[in-house]
Amino acid sequence: MNAHQSVGIVMIEDDEGHARLIEKNIRRAGILNEIKHFTDGTQALHHLFDAPDGPARNGPALVLLDLNLPDMSGTDILVRIKAEGSPLKRTPVVVLTTTDDKVEIQRCYDLGCNVYITKPVNYESFATAIRQLGLFLSVIQVPEVEA
Amino acid sequence: MADGFTDRFSTPDRRFGRVLLTFMALAFVALIAAAATIGWNTLRNQDYTAEVVHTLDVRQAIADVQVQLEQSETARRGYVLSGKPLFRTAFARTDGAIRPGLAQLTRLTADNPRQTARLSSIAVQFARLERLRAQSMALADAGALDVARRRFADDASVPTMRAIRYRLEAMASEEASLLVTRAERQRATTRLFFASLAVAAVLLGVVALLSLLVVFRNHRDLTGSRDALASLNDTLEDQVAERTADLSRANEEIQRFAYIVSHDLRSPLVNVMGFTSELAAAADPLAALVDRVEAERPDLLSDDARLAAREDLPEAIGFIRTSTQKMDRLINAILRLSREGRRIITPERIDPAALVDTIAGSIQHLLDARGVTLVVERPMPMLVTDRLALEQILSNLVENASKYLQPGRPGTITVSAREQRGRVIVAVADNGRGIDPRDHQRVFDLFRRSGAQDQPGEGIGLAHVRALAYRLGGTIDVESELGQGATFRLNLPAAYDQQDSKP
Repeated sequence: MNAHQSVGIVMIEDDEGHARLIEKNIRRAGILNEIKHFTDGTQALHHLFDAPDGPARNGPALVLLDLNLPDMSGTDILVRIKAEGSPLKRTPVVVLTTTDDKVEIQRCYDLGCNVYITKPVNYESFATAIRQLGLFLSVIQVPEVEA
Repeated sequence: MADGFTDRFSTPDRRFGRVLLTFMALAFVALIAAAATIGWNTLRNQDYTAEVVHTLDVRQAIADVQVQLEQSETARRGYVLSGKPLFRTAFARTDGAIRPGLAQLTRLTADNPRQTARLSSIAVQFARLERLRAQSMALADAGALDVARRRFADDASVPTMRAIRYRLEAMASEEASLLVTRAERQRATTRLFFASLAVAAVLLGVVALLSLLVVFRNHRDLTGSRDALASLNDTLEDQVAERTADLSRANEEIQRFAYIVSHDLRSPLVNVMGFTSELAAAADPLAALVDRVEAERPDLLSDDARLAAREDLPEAIGFIRTSTQKMDRLINAILRLSREGRRIITPERIDPAALVDTIAGSIQHLLDARGVTLVVERPMPMLVTDRLALEQILSNLVENASKYLQPGRPGTITVSAREQRGRVIVAVADNGRGIDPRDHQRVFDLFRRSGAQDQPGEGIGLAHVRALAYRLGGTIDVESELGQGATFRLNLPAAYDQQDSKP
């Protein structure tokens, strides 16, 4: 990722266990960027758009998004991020969820998600997928957030 | 609808209908009685009229006799006085008519004893008069007019004549009084006739009115029933559509439920499996540490620690893994079934024989490994249905048939199909170990299996097959006995129709 400025990873995931496993495997891939974890959509949105240390005010970020959240659907967050006029509309969003429904996948890409990954139930596959995502994160360029 | 019918035939209304019918029956009986009365009256009237006519006849006859009698007497007296032959012929003519007149009178009044008595008396008197008349006429004929005149003055002819006259008058007056009574009776019957006629007319009116009422009621009932039927008919399609919509909704609800449940079960399972792996990974350095301690400082190592690191931990992790893997397979099966129910069916023209060939090609290595021969009986009737679903059904059935063999008997699978009244029945028959008849329904249930559990599997295949068969508007059943092989019969509509599909 961008070397000159540390890119924060915002993980929106309601399951603590999943969050921990994802973080572990990302770290194993050698990614050392800060990971902020939120378990519900409201807090996550607040951090993304309003928090002083959030990506809208304070530098580039990458969003790992789960679709099944307790207070809203992950697609609602996706819509907000990718909306016209949103300061975060170029921020990469990786949807990481258990749903492998074709319609859902199409919908997410239509809404502007950058990568859609289905969490494999099998842990080996899961770990591999996250590690590969980590490797991917280590090479992609993240755009600057518009002021 | 049902309410309308009950209303129409409610008790008070029905009672009114019965009363109406009873009244109508009574009115008809009365009408018949009136008609009978009129008939009887008319007959009586005829009798009375005949009696009146008879009385008039009698009176006429009496008058005739009176006239003849008086004329003949006048002629006799003229002849005796003048001797002119003119009087003689007049006498001969009138006198001869008296006896027949009396005879007729006797005949006419034979039913009346008083008149008969008078007549017999008249007959006696007339016989005497006749004698006297004959004598005087004979004398006059002989020219002895004087003798005749004298005799006339002496003999009894005048009083006899008077006696006859009286009696005839008595008869006449009797007949006159009879005529009065009979005419009165006739008038009475005529009055009765008209009264009966009036009553009959009134009854006729009542019957007509009641009939009209009954007809009107029947018509109203019929119209009501017809309207109710028509509206029932009109709403029937809507009702069916409504029920179908209800069923589809319920079905969708179940599908969604199955999907959500299985989907949400996966999420914690990811954690269980993930952290189990983490645990296993963490156990490795521990085991290495135990090994090193055992080699370098055996006094620090307790038996419990050694056992925990080398046996208990790996064993526990192993059980957790197999269990979670199994649970994962089950959840995936439910997910697949629920997803199958939501898949859109795309019917196309399919030759089942060619489809079976494709399946055989894809599992040829399995068939070869198990030493199973697959026979496809041709030709097969064409089908219009969903290719993927039919392929999954048949490949499941063929695979099952090749899997459960009777030990010591090389497997043979025969796939055949025939058409029967718009349906195509595809049969997959094998000579394998068979299925206990008690389990024939059970094998189609999810996670249920039959017989010796010596083959891998979760008991999902046939549940899936049955769900697919239902989805295609078909059914599936099995015919089998233990050790005798099994025949699965898939019964599908020859052409898939959205309506046939059981939700």
